[in-house]
Amino acid sequence: MDFTEEQIERYSRQIVLKEIGGVGQAKLLNSKITIIGCGGLGSPVAYYLTAAGIGNIKLVDFDTVDISNLHRQILHFTKDLNKNKTQSAYEKLHELNPDVKIELVNKILLPDNIKDIIEDSDFVIDGSDNIPTKMLINDACVNLNIPFTIAGVIRFNGQIITVNPKKKTACYRCVFGDITEHEPSMSCSQAGIIGLTNRMLFLDLLKYRFSFIKIAKNENCIACGDNPKNLIETYDYNIGDACFE
Amino acid sequence: MTLVLSDINGLKSNKIHKLDIIGKVCPMTFVYTKLALEKMNSGDILELTLDFPAAVKNIPDNCKRQNIGELIDIKHVDKEKKAWILKIKKI
Repeated sequence: MDFTEEQIERYSRQIVLKEIGGVGQAKLLNSKITIIGCGGLGSPVAYYLTAAGIGNIKLVDFDTVDISNLHRQILHFTKDLNKNKTQSAYEKLHELNPDVKIELVNKILLPDNIKDIIEDSDFVIDGSDNIPTKMLINDACVNLNIPFTIAGVIRFNGQIITVNPKKKTACYRCVFGDITEHEPSMSCSQAGIIGLTNRMLFLDLLKYRFSFIKIAKNENCIACGDNPKNLIETYDYNIGDACFE
Repeated sequence: MTLVLSDINGLKSNKIHKLDIIGKVCPMTFVYTKLALEKMNSGDILELTLDFPAAVKNIPDNCKRQNIGELIDIKHVDKEKKAWILKIKKI
């Protein structure tokens, strides 16, 4: 593709990198990423991906801006209270980089709408705040063969994992299995995850400890194992019953 | 202005392309060079006209580091105005 002079200047610090160049930048401008949640995780992710020139970004969030969000959800300002988070996010991101086409979806992500929302994505980023939604995203992305990252932070702990179903890497369920087997309180303490494939990064921000844990694909995994279940149609995710903190 | 590469010798097997980056400073000098090289075929020559002194060393160094081009000639064409012509061969 031909870049405008403004694009060459804007993306120059990426083009200059051996690993990106003009070829890589053109790929980024032609790619589509869905970000689920415009909160504490979605905010920095959306800012950086917009700044980097991901050409098409879809923002999914059903919530409105609350004053308690503002200390960490940096897409939203005091003037945005009660506004839809996607609209509030759009206004900042469009100002940051008008090159990027931003689509807004003001819906709760559910088993009956997730496939329609994510099916045209090259990559999906989970910035949701509850385990059932993370499981739903995992199951749908595995089913549709879309690479994705699931991340989460609670109090001073964070986790992150990236899954690439095209390369058959371990998925979120390979690690956490069937959520119905856990106590509800465990769902909270497990919230969040960062990462590379087949590894999960755990962060302890009080002790400033970063631990990589190797994970292996589970052949009995109900999402990506040898005999996967039709989870999106049959699994009881209990979206909405999750613990929010 | 978009990046325009002018082909000044289309008849030879290794084409010579010309790019004027007078007025550009580092790192933009290398950014424009790299974008030009990416559009060229292996073996083609990029003839760069530039006036930013540090780029005379930085462009060949970066081309070598990223394995995209090899310096084959430097000419100091105008000592008063500090202009150079660099010839880079696409790897």
